[in-house]
Amino acid sequence: MAKSGAASSDWQGDLSPISAAEWTPEFAAHLLARAGFSGTPADIARLAAMGPTQAVRSLVYFKPVDARTLPAFDESGIHDPGLEPFPESRPAATDLAKKTGQALGVRARPSGNRRLQPVADKFFYWLRASQLETNRVAYWWANRMLNSPAPLQEKMALFWHGHFASNEDKVRDYRKLLGQLRLYQTMGTGNFRDLTVAVARDPGMLSFLDAGKNVKGAPNENFAREIMELFTMGVGNYTERDVREGARAFTGWNYVDLKFVVNADQHDNGPKTFLGHTGNFDGIGIIDIIMQQPATSRYVSGKIYRFFARQDLDPALQAKLGDAFRQGRYEIKPLLELILRSRDFYSPASVGTRIQSPIQLAVSTYKKLGLDAVPGVPDFNGATGVLGQRLFAPPTVAGWPDGRSWITPGLLLERGNFARDVLFPDINFIPPDRYNFAADIRAVSNKIRDGADITTATAQPGDRVTAESNRAADRDEDFNTRYASYRGWQLAIQKVKPISRATAQIDLSGLVQAQGWRTTRQVVDGFIARFMWVAPGEDVRLRLTTFLDGQLGTTDIQAASSYMEEPLRMLLHLVMSQPEYQLD
Amino acid sequence: MIDHGPDHTQTRRGLLQAGAAGAALTPLMLAGAARAQAAMSANPNRILVVLELSGGNDGLNTVVPYGDDAYYRARPNIGIRKARLRTIDDHFGFNGGMVGFERLYKDGKLAIVHGCGYPDPSFSHFTSMAYWQTAAPNRGDALGWVGRLADAMAPTAPPNYLVNISAIQSLAVRAEKHVPIVFNNPDNFTREAFSEEKAALAQTPNHAAVANPAQQYLLDLAKSANQSSTLVRQAWSNYRSPIDYGLNDLGLRRVAAMINAQMPARLYYAAYANNAFDTHVTQGDLHGRLLTYTSDAVYGFMQDLERMGRANDVTVMIFSEFGRRVPENTSLGTDHGAANAMFVVGEKVKGGHYGQLPSLTELDAGDNLKFTTDFRRVYATMIEGWLGQPSAPAILKGQFERFAMFA
Repeated sequence: MAKSGAASSDWQGDLSPISAAEWTPEFAAHLLARAGFSGTPADIARLAAMGPTQAVRSLVYFKPVDARTLPAFDESGIHDPGLEPFPESRPAATDLAKKTGQALGVRARPSGNRRLQPVADKFFYWLRASQLETNRVAYWWANRMLNSPAPLQEKMALFWHGHFASNEDKVRDYRKLLGQLRLYQTMGTGNFRDLTVAVARDPGMLSFLDAGKNVKGAPNENFAREIMELFTMGVGNYTERDVREGARAFTGWNYVDLKFVVNADQHDNGPKTFLGHTGNFDGIGIIDIIMQQPATSRYVSGKIYRFFARQDLDPALQAKLGDAFRQGRYEIKPLLELILRSRDFYSPASVGTRIQSPIQLAVSTYKKLGLDAVPGVPDFNGATGVLGQRLFAPPTVAGWPDGRSWITPGLLLERGNFARDVLFPDINFIPPDRYNFAADIRAVSNKIRDGADITTATAQPGDRVTAESNRAADRDEDFNTRYASYRGWQLAIQKVKPISRATAQIDLSGLVQAQGWRTTRQVVDGFIARFMWVAPGEDVRLRLTTFLDGQLGTTDIQAASSYMEEPLRMLLHLVMSQPEYQLD
Repeated sequence: MIDHGPDHTQTRRGLLQAGAAGAALTPLMLAGAARAQAAMSANPNRILVVLELSGGNDGLNTVVPYGDDAYYRARPNIGIRKARLRTIDDHFGFNGGMVGFERLYKDGKLAIVHGCGYPDPSFSHFTSMAYWQTAAPNRGDALGWVGRLADAMAPTAPPNYLVNISAIQSLAVRAEKHVPIVFNNPDNFTREAFSEEKAALAQTPNHAAVANPAQQYLLDLAKSANQSSTLVRQAWSNYRSPIDYGLNDLGLRRVAAMINAQMPARLYYAAYANNAFDTHVTQGDLHGRLLTYTSDAVYGFMQDLERMGRANDVTVMIFSEFGRRVPENTSLGTDHGAANAMFVVGEKVKGGHYGQLPSLTELDAGDNLKFTTDFRRVYATMIEGWLGQPSAPAILKGQFERFAMFA
């Protein structure tokens, strides 16, 4: 892949389509990296043979994928109706039980010490179980990214997950996040207006933005503000008054469990003046006014462009994309086709200039290695989380900051460490969905199993507790929070199905043999071409070749073929540790 | 300057306004500049730690003006009664869990700067935070103010000068010349390699400038990574402290470890990250907890510095991107507001109240406190008054009168 494209730099800013004569295998590889998650040389050759028009159309106008090719999510079955509506905090749950005798489908004990303990246990059970199940949903999704014959469907779902961002930490219900993901998978390449309406009615988003608290007479502005600022128009295109009026239109929008509801008695039916329009608008009316704004089409198409092509976007080009998007009635597929076929997309300013996101880095690494399952070691969520992008955990409603902010000096090192963990799986790996890494939880568990009572088992080491937060933990007599936290983990780990911890099946010796590379230098050049977008300098090639010579004791691959697997893996680790490996 | 009631603040205000009126440098300011120079030459090792509270901390429920009935009128449900506060004078009390702040205040080491904000405030977390991080309200800047400060303090960009405790780099530390060290978990800040690979990994590519800017950026980072990782890891593994920082150290324990190891860094940036303080709904318990953690962490940090004998060298400045609206909302929470209190903590800080108290009744059209102190005045105070850098106007792109906050 590491080639300098034949493209001319005056393609930059040019939205006219690239011609069949201009199409090269390098461009096919670039298209597959950006519209999907990269691929093997065979995947690239297939797209290259199609020509640009067909290659782009095959990705954009994909056939629906059936459940035999990609199985549905395999539920652990951790939810029960008693959990609804889930209280907003542990104190809310135990207060409710104190008042009514039950909460979360669990009754308080009639008498005795720690009457409310089972309620507190159940509260933490659901928090932990939902977290663990969300990690399984993330694995399921990562496997779809890796294996789907329609990679752009998953790529767009990833885009929308960063755009209409919600995180499990606040929503605390894997089912709502799974529902949101399905929305992005099914509607993510459809119509933007319809998608926005669906998101505004999505229980996950309603929960994430506290929409349920937005009631007539006392609008909570969070929801309306984020819809305008982050989801559609961008900041600076509306006033504070528009935010307040918009919030009134969404009053009464709420959810019950997994269903969207409008509480008519909480909805403000009065006239609202929003972006110059006056009427008795509801949320959909507001969204339709938002869609009329040129700011909306420019903002959203610009963000899609940045995601697929490159970070810097010329305002004139953005205006053109915005006009095309709005005139096309916010249909997403034609916009994607326009961007992905444009000469601009294949210009030197776009090719090989993007720093891959952690998810892209992980999945494309697996793709290029030819894997057909996301390895269980290293843990996908742990690895991508350390690199700064964990699925279902965007840091804020603004999603993940893109571009250069993906990388810091420390994260550059971590990316190399990720490659090593894939190529040399740690035999001391401990599955984070089976084992608890919190020292205090482990300590409680050990003491309880040794026969200690709850007070003794949960006591903090007596000395040096001067911080107020550590003092406060043991105060309530009705239940013990530390014990509940431990019990919650225990119950959750019992119920949530384990993630398969199979390691990557990699055969680099076979790959080298199949390619017919005969010398160590050919192997180095071959690895760089297959795995890297932007080639490192000659000094690096020489250093890598010297390294491989030293490890094999020869420059002759045939002579080393029976023992070269480990040296080849080290070589690939070194390749993947190069700064240039981060680019696509 | 330890126990200033509101009356004293009013007196202060008169003074400050007189100072602000003249565009020319007053004798007071010149004297200040001379002191700043002296401080710089006397102590080239002064360290500034900036602590960001992201999400818009509700300042009115942090430093509660219990002496003002208007506070309870605006917040009949979430207003905190005097009995549950940690009162510090006859007008103010800290939120009940803020034992550490109370102690620091009573020891004269904590300054409260009232009414900090900027004109035409943004109510967007991200926009307003970007304004604070770049010190460029209603404009923004490609570089952060702490990054520009590092560039001004050390134009040759020596390594390991600017540290950001975070999973991702903050805009505040983005610099033209410096590559900030950014890490969350020091144990992860390391190149894991087999012994056979180490020689090949130790060398950094010796490229001449390359045409692809993203590639150039990565090559620069690779160089910085090699320089810093060993230093950070060793600092962390050598650090042992008996001090209790509470349930969330906000990264300050890691800052302490770096300082303990005599890291050359003079600027640190840490955060209570991820919009933690965005308390729209039923904020009471949650907000109290967030403040308790913050107060515990800052107090623990100050104790730790004292233990190491470095308390005289460090000042902590604490801010949030905006406060909350004065009246509570109907969800027992508060919505995005404007002016807010900032805090400055340190052994050398002259504790007490600074800035003019914003009125709780004369609000702007959106029921927000009107700002009385441009937040960049506090930045200027850190730059000139604490770090002894004469270049605050260039860094902040404007003249901002500093407070006489340091002993």
